[in-house]
Amino acid sequence: MVRKRRIIKERVPTPERPAEERIHDFKEVNLGYTFGLAVKEAERCLQCPYNYAPCIKGCPVHIDIPGFISKLVQYRDDPDKAVKEALNVIWACNSLPATTGRVCPQEDQCEMNCVMGKVGDKINIGKLERFVADYAREKGIDEELLFEIIPKIEKTGQRVAIIGAGPAGLTAAGELAKLGYDVTIYEALHEPGGVLMYGIPEFRLPKSIVEKEIDKLRKLGVKILTDHIVGKTVTMDELLQNYDAVFIGSGAGTPRLINAPGINLNGIYTANEFLTRVNLMKAYLFPEYDTPVKVGKKVIVIGAGNTGMDAARSARRFGAEVTIAYRRGEEDVSARIEEVEHAKEEGIKFAYFLNPVEFIGDENGKVKAVKFEKMKALDERDSRGKRKIVGTGEYVTLEAETVIIAIGKHPNRLIINTPGLEVDKRGKIIVDENLMTSIPGVFAGGDAIRGEATVILAMGDGRRAAKAIHEYLTKKREGQKANA
Amino acid sequence: MYKILEKKEIAMRNVWYKIQAPHVAGKVKPGQFVIVRAFSNGERIPLTPVMWDAEEGWIVLITFIRGKTTMKMAAELKEGDYILNVAGPLGNPAEMKKFGKILAIGAYTGIVETFPIAKAWHEIGNYVTTLHVTFEPMVVLKEELERAVDSHIVETVPIDPNLDFPTNMKNVTKRLTETVREMLEKEDYDLVFMVGPAGDQRAVFNVVKEFGIPMKADLHPIMVDGTGMCGSCRVTVGGEVKFACIDGPEFDAYQVDWDVLIARSGYYTDMEQRAMQEYMKAIQGGGE
Ligand SMILES: Cc1cc2nc3c(=O)[nH]c(=O)nc-3n(C[C@H](O)[C@H](O)[C@H](O)COP(=O)(O)OP(=O)(O)OC[C@H]3O[C@@H](n4cnc5c(N)ncnc54)[C@H](O)[C@@H]3O)c2cc1C
Ligand SMILES: Cc1cc2nc3c(=O)[nH]c(=O)nc-3n(C[C@H](O)[C@H](O)[C@H](O)COP(=O)(O)OP(=O)(O)OC[C@H]3O[C@@H](n4cnc5c(N)ncnc54)[C@H](O)[C@@H]3O)c2cc1C
Ligand code: SF4
Ligand code: SF4
Ligand code: FES
Repeated sequence: MVRKRRIIKERVPTPERPAEERIHDFKEVNLGYTFGLAVKEAERCLQCPYNYAPCIKGCPVHIDIPGFISKLVQYRDDPDKAVKEALNVIWACNSLPATTGRVCPQEDQCEMNCVMGKVGDKINIGKLERFVADYAREKGIDEELLFEIIPKIEKTGQRVAIIGAGPAGLTAAGELAKLGYDVTIYEALHEPGGVLMYGIPEFRLPKSIVEKEIDKLRKLGVKILTDHIVGKTVTMDELLQNYDAVFIGSGAGTPRLINAPGINLNGIYTANEFLTRVNLMKAYLFPEYDTPVKVGKKVIVIGAGNTGMDAARSARRFGAEVTIAYRRGEEDVSARIEEVEHAKEEGIKFAYFLNPVEFIGDENGKVKAVKFEKMKALDERDSRGKRKIVGTGEYVTLEAETVIIAIGKHPNRLIINTPGLEVDKRGKIIVDENLMTSIPGVFAGGDAIRGEATVILAMGDGRRAAKAIHEYLTKKREGQKANA
Repeated sequence: MYKILEKKEIAMRNVWYKIQAPHVAGKVKPGQFVIVRAFSNGERIPLTPVMWDAEEGWIVLITFIRGKTTMKMAAELKEGDYILNVAGPLGNPAEMKKFGKILAIGAYTGIVETFPIAKAWHEIGNYVTTLHVTFEPMVVLKEELERAVDSHIVETVPIDPNLDFPTNMKNVTKRLTETVREMLEKEDYDLVFMVGPAGDQRAVFNVVKEFGIPMKADLHPIMVDGTGMCGSCRVTVGGEVKFACIDGPEFDAYQVDWDVLIARSGYYTDMEQRAMQEYMKAIQGGGE
């Protein structure tokens, strides 16, 4: 496939809806490539050899990126075939490409060291991946591929329980089902999807996409029990009696709060509450949907990660004037670059080096302002390579009718209280190199072991755990046979 | 999907639902609750299993018709219909030990939540008196409580049609605090427990405090997930932030910051009223 061709320096842009239009609704911002545009972008790829390609190394699940891109060019005259071949390459490593293509921090992963970057724009790997997944879904090609896999599955007769239907649990479930296990997912909420459903907004990841992915799992025979809270509805002991292995993908759902006076005033939301009301419960459609949310004229979002961007941009869509207050400087903003750019286009203001010290309320117990200490950065760096910050002793008070706290999350408490399950001092579940926890036969991955991480790392863990569980259960099977 | 086996109005604005929910029935303990989502565009609301049967796999929920969700459930759900989601059991079970002499109070429909706890306390050997204070046409579980505890007292207040509802409710609060005061003056109790509106819980607490008797209260802040994920249900207890859904719902009344609880419980009143009004308009306008 390695044709000599002219180097095209500029990325083929993906159409986006203009900021003035999109701040009035929750529809998707980026419209993605058409087949024609995708082929044009695919043609720019230099097709670096597999064992060298820096894009593959940068992707946490090592998708054969030049491999899938080349299919688009190779079969350019037969779009359906091109997409089917490309999807097959992606599926070998990643079962949720419509999601990762949209939400991966590509600039720090696959696209970071793309060779094209030396002469021009890096290849738009994320949008190509998304294109393949979207086209396949719209044309039913993904199901075609799935139905080719299903008859080949050989049932092992063993049962695996999965705790949590986020990307880690969904991936583990899918892989294990393909390996022939009888898989049941226990999910606390009424909808599977984890953060993909309750956290990441519709305008960035349409919920219909996540629902479709979950449909596919059901077609693979995975059972999903919503409304089941492990630790309450069913205990770990009971799971271990009824299943041959367990995977914990319960995520990091406990919101961190700021230890400052006034934190329980009305109008102060955690990002989790705000986003759950807006996304999962569709409060943006109130009163057609029953769940309320209140967004004042002036909104302050505290924190500048992906969660902060999502909260800020959601609040903006309610017509609010939004300021993101961050205790560090611009260089340390951890959200995906695309989100930060979109946020700025949408008129969201950024205020740096502000650390909240007090929430000020009115006589009805509702927040009206936030008092911040101004911070400054030192040259010295902390263990994560960020510049250390210290208070200056100077304060500033900003008015706000709504405050959204987006400073991070801890692992879910209901799970980490499981007797015998070892966790570190931040509540992260401790696992060995096979992702097995301190309880034999119980594996874990995703945010439950990492704290807040990314979708693709959670999926990578789900996949690795599925392999490890497969090995563990194969041994168990063989042991049982030997004993019989 | 959870089937409604039985539905009936057991008193004015009090509706009884017997629901097939074996996953909860086999696990629930007194003091725990469930989160119900009844309609696809509906809210998630916390309700309390009042009775249950692990073997037959059902639970009973009793709702007080308050706003849109409880109203719509009463108006639109029939026996044989399904409730979309019943998640749980959630929250911590009530502390089960020998306290001695207990006064367990329920204001309005709060008594249905007091019921399983009071019954269990009695069963392990406590001397339990229950007190139900409510409007005349809203008495529920009277016979059940008379059978379940040592002594059950019902105090009712008539609804004065010339007064608005909030003013009528003040009369209930007055009767409640007066009755509690009389009871505590007459007899020594080792523990007071109460479920009811936060304002009434505080009013009762202010009386109990004078007698220095330990008091527990089941708190009802607004919840969304009920699993510790959102922080909507946070309350200030002993100066610390607690999540009622996973740290409670039962707390030491002496430690509760009642102002915070009351303010937070009323945050959406205007929107809830709007939802209710639009719903009433829609059903009165002849439906779809
Ligand atoms: C607002 C927001 C935006 C983000 N944006 C991005 C982004 O752009 N790109 C990116 O890569 N990452 C992003 N992330 C991070 C990413 O979403 C997470 O790293 C990822 O979802 C973790 O997956 P998981 O499967 O480990 O857990 P989760 O997605 O958290 O799923 C865990 C599931 O387990 C369930 N559960 C928990 N406890 C129990 C229990 N006891 N019993 C049963 N079920 C239980 C939960 O209800 C939940 O459904 C974002 C996160 C947030 C909050
Ligand atoms: C642990 C717990 C157990 C409960 N058990 C029962 C019970 O057994 N029977 C019963 O009738 N009621 C119970 N409630 C209260 C019940 O949840 C509310 O009456 C119900 O949510 C009202 O919904 P609505 O749409 O009809 O009214 P709305 O008009 O939406 O609200 C009326 C008032 O109800 C409260 N409320 C509204 N939404 C919620 C919510 N999501 N979470 C908590 N409170 C809310 C608020 O104070 C609000 O002002 C319980 C509440 C809690 C927290
Ligand atoms: S999964 Fe993420 S990192 Fe890997 S290629 Fe796709 S977008 Fe890039
Ligand atoms: S590094 Fe860039 S140019 Fe090379 S194969 Fe990967 S995407 Fe193509
Ligand atoms: S209801 Fe969400 S944390 Fe308690």
